[in-house]
This record gives sequence, C-alpha cells and structure tokens, in this order.
Amino acid sequence: MANSVVKIDNIVKRYGELLALDHFSLDIKEGEVFGLLGPNGSGKTTTINCLLSLLAYDKGDIEIFGKKMTPVSYDIKKKIGIIMQNVAVFDELTVYENIDYFCGLYINDKKLRKQYVEDAINFVGLGDFRKFYPKKLSGGLLRRLNIACGIAHKPKLIILDEPTVAVDPQSRNKILEGIESLNRDGATIIYTSHYMEEVEQLCTRIAIMDKGKKIAEGSKDELKRMIKNTETVTVEVLGLTQSMLDELSALPHVYDVKYDGQKAVISCSGGKHNLIRILDTLQKKEVSFGRVYSELPTLNDVFLEITGKALRDKED
Amino acid sequence: MFLHNLFYELKSSLRAKELIIWLMIFPIILGTFFKIAFGDLYDKQTKMDTIKTAVVGIENDPNFRTVIEQIEQEDEPLLKAEYLDEEKALEKLANGDVTGVIYAGDDMSLTVSDTGIEQSVLRVFIQQYSTKAGIIKETLASDPSKLGEVTKALMADASPNHAEPLTKGNTDFYIEYMYNLIAMVAMYGSITGLHIAVGNQANLSPLGARKCCSPTPKALSTLAGIIGSWLVQAVCMVICVSFTAFVLKTDYGKNLPYVYLAAILGGITGVSMGFFVGSIGRMKNSMKVAICMTGSMLCCFLSGLMMGNIKGWIAMKFPVFNNLNPAALVADSISSLNLYTGHERYFTKLMYMCGISAVFITLGLILTRRRKYADL
Repeated sequence: MANSVVKIDNIVKRYGELLALDHFSLDIKEGEVFGLLGPNGSGKTTTINCLLSLLAYDKGDIEIFGKKMTPVSYDIKKKIGIIMQNVAVFDELTVYENIDYFCGLYINDKKLRKQYVEDAINFVGLGDFRKFYPKKLSGGLLRRLNIACGIAHKPKLIILDEPTVAVDPQSRNKILEGIESLNRDGATIIYTSHYMEEVEQLCTRIAIMDKGKKIAEGSKDELKRMIKNTETVTVEVLGLTQSMLDELSALPHVYDVKYDGQKAVISCSGGKHNLIRILDTLQKKEVSFGRVYSELPTLNDVFLEITGKALRDKED
Repeated sequence: MFLHNLFYELKSSLRAKELIIWLMIFPIILGTFFKIAFGDLYDKQTKMDTIKTAVVGIENDPNFRTVIEQIEQEDEPLLKAEYLDEEKALEKLANGDVTGVIYAGDDMSLTVSDTGIEQSVLRVFIQQYSTKAGIIKETLASDPSKLGEVTKALMADASPNHAEPLTKGNTDFYIEYMYNLIAMVAMYGSITGLHIAVGNQANLSPLGARKCCSPTPKALSTLAGIIGSWLVQAVCMVICVSFTAFVLKTDYGKNLPYVYLAAILGGITGVSMGFFVGSIGRMKNSMKVAICMTGSMLCCFLSGLMMGNIKGWIAMKFPVFNNLNPAALVADSISSLNLYTGHERYFTKLMYMCGISAVFITLGLILTRRRKYADL
C-alpha cells in the first residue's frame, strides 16, 4: 500500500457562525490524482488553505509527508507546488522572470534553477512568450504561467485549486494533459474543481464536498455504483399518452419516467438491454420517435442523488 | 534566497509605472512649475535693476565721471551712464530710455520725468556725491595735508548701526518650496512601502498567499522587500535632488551632499510609514493607497508645500508636531543647512527621522508577523 502524502483528520473550520469545514477528513496516497469536487462555496479552497497552513482551523490535524504541517514547516513546503485559484504573478516581471522568481523561492542553485525554469516554460508551452509581461497574455496563457510558477521547482505534491476557471478549451486541454504528465512523472496531485468532466477525466480518486462536509469518496466507478441510476435513456417523441408512460414505467429496471411533451427521460437502475426494451415497447405501440440516446451516470448524477441538487448551475 | 528576493524586488519596483510617475515624473513637473512660478519672484521683489542715467556736462566735473566708471565696474552696478548733450538727454528721458538726467558741475542737479524708487535712489546718490565732493574740495582749500584722513573718514560707514544678516545662506523663499518638493517625494515613498506589506501577507493579496506557501521565511522576504524599496526610494531621491540642483539651479551652496543624505533618509522614513500603513488591518488595497496618499499630502501641506507660512504657525502653536511630521523633518533638515552655520539642528532632524522609521518598521513587522490567518 502506498504511503500517505496528505492526511487530514477531522478538521473543523468556522468563519464566525458559518461552519466552513465540518469534521472533514482525507487520506491521499502517493501517486494519486485526488479530486476535490463540489459546488462553489462547498469548502474546497478552505480545505486547501488549511492544508497549506495559511488558514487557522478550530479543530483537527493535518499531516503532509508524515509530518505535522505548520507555517514554518519549510522542509515540507519545499516539496509542495501550489497553483492558486487567483493568478499570483508580478505584473512588472516577464514570463521568464516570474517563473524564475517563484522557482528561486525553492531552489538556490542558479544553474539548476535555469534548467528548471526552461523545463517549466516548455512544459506549459510558453516558449514563444518568455519575454511577455503578464498583461499581454490571454486568460489561458496567464493560467499556464500561473501553473509554470507553481511547478517549476519539480514538487512531489502539487495542489491545483480550480486552475481552469475562465480558460479557453485549447488551454484547458493543455493544462489537463500537463497535469496527467506531472502525475506520470511521479507527483501526487490534489485537484479541486467544480467541473465534473475534468475531475472524471483526471482523478483516480474523488471526494465530493458540500457545505464543508465530505459526502462521498472513492474512484469515479465506486462513486457511480453508490447511486441507484445506472443508465438514463432519452427519447425524442411527441404525443405520448399516460397509458404509454405507465407502460414504460412498468418495464423491468425502470424506476422513473419524465415526459415534457417532446422528450421522455427514462431512468434505469441495473439490468442489461434497457434501451432495446424501451424502443421495442414504443415500436409495438407504433409510436414514431426521433433521436434516442443513452447516458451512463455522471458525477453530477451522483451529487444530485446524494444532495438532491445539481453539482453546478446550467450556465456553468 | 535574500539576494534573489532583493533582486526581483528592485527589478519589479523600477518597472512599476505608478512609481515612475509619482516618484520621478510628477516631482520633475512640479519642480519645474515652482521654478517658472516663483523662480524670479524674489529677485523681482528684492533686487533693483541697474538705473539707466544720462549725464549732461560731464566736462564740468571729471571726478564725477571717475566715480561713475568705478560704480559701473561693480558686479551689480547701481547705474549705467550715458554722456550726452542736454537735448539728447531730455529726449531719452521723454522716451523713457533713461530714468533721470544728471547735470554735472558745481551745482549738481537731477531731472526726472516720474517718481519712484529708482528716481529716489538717483536723488540720494547725487546728494551724497555733492556732499562728499564739497567736503573734499573744502579740505583741499583749507588744509590739503588732511585730505587722506578726510577721505578715509568719508569712506567709512558713519552709522552706529551695523547691518548683520541673519544667515549667510540663500534667503530666497522660493527655495523653501524646493525643500518641500523633496519632502513630498520622500513621503510618496509610502506607496512602495505599502506594496511590500500587502505583497507579503496572505490575507491581503494572492501574491502574499503564494509567497507564504513557499519555503522562504516571511521575515526574509519582507526584509528583502523593505530594503529593496529603500534602495529604489534612495534612487528616486537622488534623481529629485539632482534635478533641483543641476536643472532647476537651486542653490544649495556647499551643502549638496548633506541635502542628498537628508533626502535619502526622508525617503526611508516615507517607505517605512507606508509599510506600517500597509500592515494595519484588512482594508482594500485601494483604500490603503488612498490613506497613504492623503497622509503624505497632509504631512506635506503642514510642512508648507502649499502654504509657505503654515510650518511657522505650527512651530509657534504646536512645536512638537514639526518633529513628528516626516515631511516637515525633511524640509527642516535641508532648510537648516541653508539658515544655520552649524549642523547641530540638521543632525537632530535626521535623528528624528531615524527614530520615526524605526518605530514604523518595528510596528509593521509586529503587525505582519502572524503566521496563520483566521480568514483569507
């Protein structure tokens, strides 16, 4: 069994009356890409800030690399790379200088640092922008610079707090590929996001948070197995009668049918060939239908079923 | 690690546009404005131009010509004479080309077409000449052997009162505006000091949070920032003083090195003040900048940047305040070099500046020493 890299034990953090972290615990193993998933305000960033000893917490313990994390744990901090939600770079320094500055906070050897900075620039694909000032960079490139500043010193634990917020698809893909590459090179990753697709794509293990609590934890398959829904079939169809809807509801493994006059959404739990059975039923009743699609459950479904609300707003 | 922080602190500070604008360009513009507005006001109010005079009948009194020629050789001669016949002299007087027409001879007289200071000076001048020339002539006639003694007596100042200037320095009041300009630049250093405090605290800026996550101790990074800001501010002060001295031709006499020292120390005080303000509370950065700017301008106002006599009024009513106001300390220290022969007062003001800087830095470090924050 791999060693624990991060161990959070029963953390409680209050902001006045608001309970931001409610007896929250985590155990992240070496080599994992661990996802912290939750809606805005669920406590992801608070967890990260407590983990980094920036925030004082009311109760609990935090250990990183087997040692208690404190603000003066410089030996631990040396091994951590942090990419914060807010871009933190100097406007007056170029791309190269910014990366060199942050790398220099960890690496004293100038020659080694120069090599590391070059590696970081190539890693995030900012080779053509090394003399650019941050204000001249697009949002996506700026995020990449932020990442380069955080990983240039080749840390063993990398914490990324919503690194793809307001990033264009091209930069987002580049960032996600980069994170996978860092993990292949041996880094343990903690990745917070409210974008479930990213978490599903990247993370080997996921903790879902809501209102400062961990509501579920496991691999994405383990999480999906926790819920009733295993398949959702959507059929575009006009003029379905109530008797027809009742017939669909009575099919094996179907536990919910919703119809808005234009499409029927049929939720299934377990079983095989659910789609074929549904389409057979419609054809036997000579009901003509348009597009049909079947979806496996997402993390949003997991969140929806556990909390009764969607993981993120539709506009997100 | 310290040098790495210091290097990038200097680099980013020297590239900061607002720093260049407020600490370099603005003082240059304001100083130039002062020069244009007040530069020759003192000369106009206190110095008299050479009086253009026409002399008629100089052949009647060759000694008068000798006296005039001696006067004309002085650095700032009292008068400049033209030797003309009466018709041309009166014509020039009518045209305003000369202030008066002096008729040389035994009965010396003066004709003027207007009244004023210059005309009065000419009148006093010919009266004194006539009196002294009469005494010499009478001595020559009665006892020529006493001529040397009489001449010596006439040359001596007969008045029992002797005018002694309060200072050997530059008494031009315009120069006080330059001292206050230097004080203002020193106070603007508070903006750079403020950024150091904000940029090193996790609860005040993302950059501060990012730095706090690194293995570089906060005290080291803060100290590098403060020293970097002091150095940058020192450069700005040197530029400001050099501009006033060499471009605006402000006369600091032989005290220029002391002016540089006072200005640099003033800049350090300004940065320290900003660091202290930046360390207080969790106000927005823009609010802290506003407090710094307002505080700086208030200090400058009370040291006489906008109203020259306010510092004197404060010195009478609240004498302690001028020793607590950093801007007044900077202006006073430089002013004391000009007004006093010794350096005692100058060094006293410098000591006050050092004390205030030490208090600000100590309080700032105490306020920023917190290692974990309750809120970010």
